[in-house]
Amino acid sequence: MNAFIAFAFKNVFRQKKRSVTLGINYTIVTLILALLLAFSAGAKFNIESNLVLSTAGHITISGQYVEKGRIYSGIKRTGDIESIVLKTLPGSSILVRYRINSSLYYKGLSKRLSFVGIDAKSETGFRGQMNFVSGSWEEFASDPNGVILPKETADYYGIASGDEAVISTRSRFGAFNTGTLHIRGIYRTDNFFFGGLVLGHFDFFRNLDLAASDASSTIYVYLPSTAGLSGKRALLLEALGKAGFVVSTPKTDADAIDAVAAASTTYRLDAKGHDRLELTLATIDEVTGIVRTLLAAVDGVGGLVAAIMLFIIAVSIMINLRMTINERLREIGTMRAMGMRAGGVTGLFMLENGFLALIFSLIGVLLALVVVALFSFAITLPSGGNLGLFLEAGHLVLIPEAGSLALIVSVIVSFSVLFSWFPARRAGRISPVEAFNDVF
Amino acid sequence: MHHKFLSIVAFFAVLPVSAACFAQAGDAKSDPAATAIVKAFEDRLNLEGLDVTNTFNLVQKKEGETDRVLQVKVFRRDSADTFTLIFQYPESEKGKGYYRKGDDLFLYLPSTREFAYRNRKDDVGGSDIRTDMFGKSNLEDQYRLSLAGRATVSKWDCDVVRLEARQLDVSFPIQKWFVRKTDGLPVKVENYSASETLLRTIYYIDYRKLSGDRFIFTKLLAVDALEKGQKTLLTNDGIETGAIPNYVFTKAYLEEQSR
Repeated sequence: MNAFIAFAFKNVFRQKKRSVTLGINYTIVTLILALLLAFSAGAKFNIESNLVLSTAGHITISGQYVEKGRIYSGIKRTGDIESIVLKTLPGSSILVRYRINSSLYYKGLSKRLSFVGIDAKSETGFRGQMNFVSGSWEEFASDPNGVILPKETADYYGIASGDEAVISTRSRFGAFNTGTLHIRGIYRTDNFFFGGLVLGHFDFFRNLDLAASDASSTIYVYLPSTAGLSGKRALLLEALGKAGFVVSTPKTDADAIDAVAAASTTYRLDAKGHDRLELTLATIDEVTGIVRTLLAAVDGVGGLVAAIMLFIIAVSIMINLRMTINERLREIGTMRAMGMRAGGVTGLFMLENGFLALIFSLIGVLLALVVVALFSFAITLPSGGNLGLFLEAGHLVLIPEAGSLALIVSVIVSFSVLFSWFPARRAGRISPVEAFNDVF
Repeated sequence: MHHKFLSIVAFFAVLPVSAACFAQAGDAKSDPAATAIVKAFEDRLNLEGLDVTNTFNLVQKKEGETDRVLQVKVFRRDSADTFTLIFQYPESEKGKGYYRKGDDLFLYLPSTREFAYRNRKDDVGGSDIRTDMFGKSNLEDQYRLSLAGRATVSKWDCDVVRLEARQLDVSFPIQKWFVRKTDGLPVKVENYSASETLLRTIYYIDYRKLSGDRFIFTKLLAVDALEKGQKTLLTNDGIETGAIPNYVFTKAYLEEQSR
């Protein structure tokens, strides 16, 4: 048996030109599929981790409350919710945010910006991802009116650390309120999800919005493990429901994104006619649902391209093998005369093609790993625009997963073996007499 | 150090204190003298018993930008505390409109054919003009009124009335109205934020007398205090006091006009 396998392996290199021509196709298909899957896995990982480090929790709690026929966005009884989370999901940690969209005025220039109020002492999300161009986290943390601006925003205003600017907002009740902000830092970040945000202090923005002392915009819950996330969310839903909140989950992926991006706005009218506190609990899987759908579409297109290429390969296998069998008729006749059964001849040719596919798809995997390494360490891409979604420190995030690579190689080898069966079966059926006297 | 101390004072004192002030203003009674001044000009400017149709032309001037022009047709019936506004110019705004009934203000967007509930003092087309200028006003209901001295605006001696919001459902929680002594009409209004930063000043430049002792402003200038150099000039043309059909004061009318 070993001799049979060794013979088949050796035969792969007998007609080098033909083998290489066919093998290159295997390599290209493997390369495309490996890079596509690495891109999908990388994008999913990058988006999830960047979201979790900035604008989403493993479970994100957002909501609205109804008072005297008016619906206000945001959460009330924030402290109660925090206690319930910690009691229901022990070991979890919590970040509370206050978001508003307001205009910032400086020396005759104004622009509407997204502000996020954080607790500078407990903040773990933003802090580690900021590269300060000027100022520092400590300066920001020690000034209750302090803010940190993105570099692009600072450039727009021509504002520097130490300057003061005026913020004017229409509060949730409709009344305008203003405040003075001190620029305590200017930052750059590679995290796409908070590139444009102005960070300030939670209490400052809540007071600016004239909101109650127990109000917030969103609560991010971080769990020690995200295994069984839906089940953990179900526990929390039940506990919050028992505490008098009207709880729900996002109905669509867009609802989940809205929940994460919720900012304070002015009120709307309520038609239900009773006061209530409504909470929406979105898991990180739901928040990234649209991304996953998009990536599945990318994978689908890649799969289609690969399918077309595999079809071309199938035709090539048929033609190639037929030519090979024609050239090796005497060899087939000799093997058959020596007592090899038809199945043996068929198996030999299938095995040869299987080895060919294995060798060249492995080369494809190696090439894919080289490309991944180049993008991960050598090639830097501009982080502006939507491309930033897929970048980490300017490098495209590609994650080649061993399982995916093994699957690609298995599929290609199986495909090659399957499509070589048709001509190989005919080779096996040739009798020794036909092999020595006829042309197949 | 001194600077930091002031920041902390500004943060911990001004904002919560200003919110607390409104809670107090909600219960406190107005100064009768201030109320009398406000009631006097409201009686003249509230056009109860009249249907008024007019066209506002707004020219918004901003430093370094070309002037922005808006034309809005207004149908007003103060006796029913209602008005309908329809944008007529520019083309991009045409068909858009507001419908107000009492405290409820709805913005109609022809692009989506939907009504959005808005604060009753929404700005008009992103200008410094707010919808509360177009209808009946009842400041005593929303604000605690007090006298804040006297001042001269242009050549007129004026009483200054300070308004503090009773509830936060108003655009400007603090206002100062400068009311001229000669005819009791306001000539200047300063609008402040909750933390008492001046946001906008309005100058009532001219009025036209309608029937009886009723007046309607024909020209005003709104100056933005935060956006330096931004001003909006509003002229009021084509004023008519003929009866307006009831269906004009409905949401359906706005929808119909956008078709």
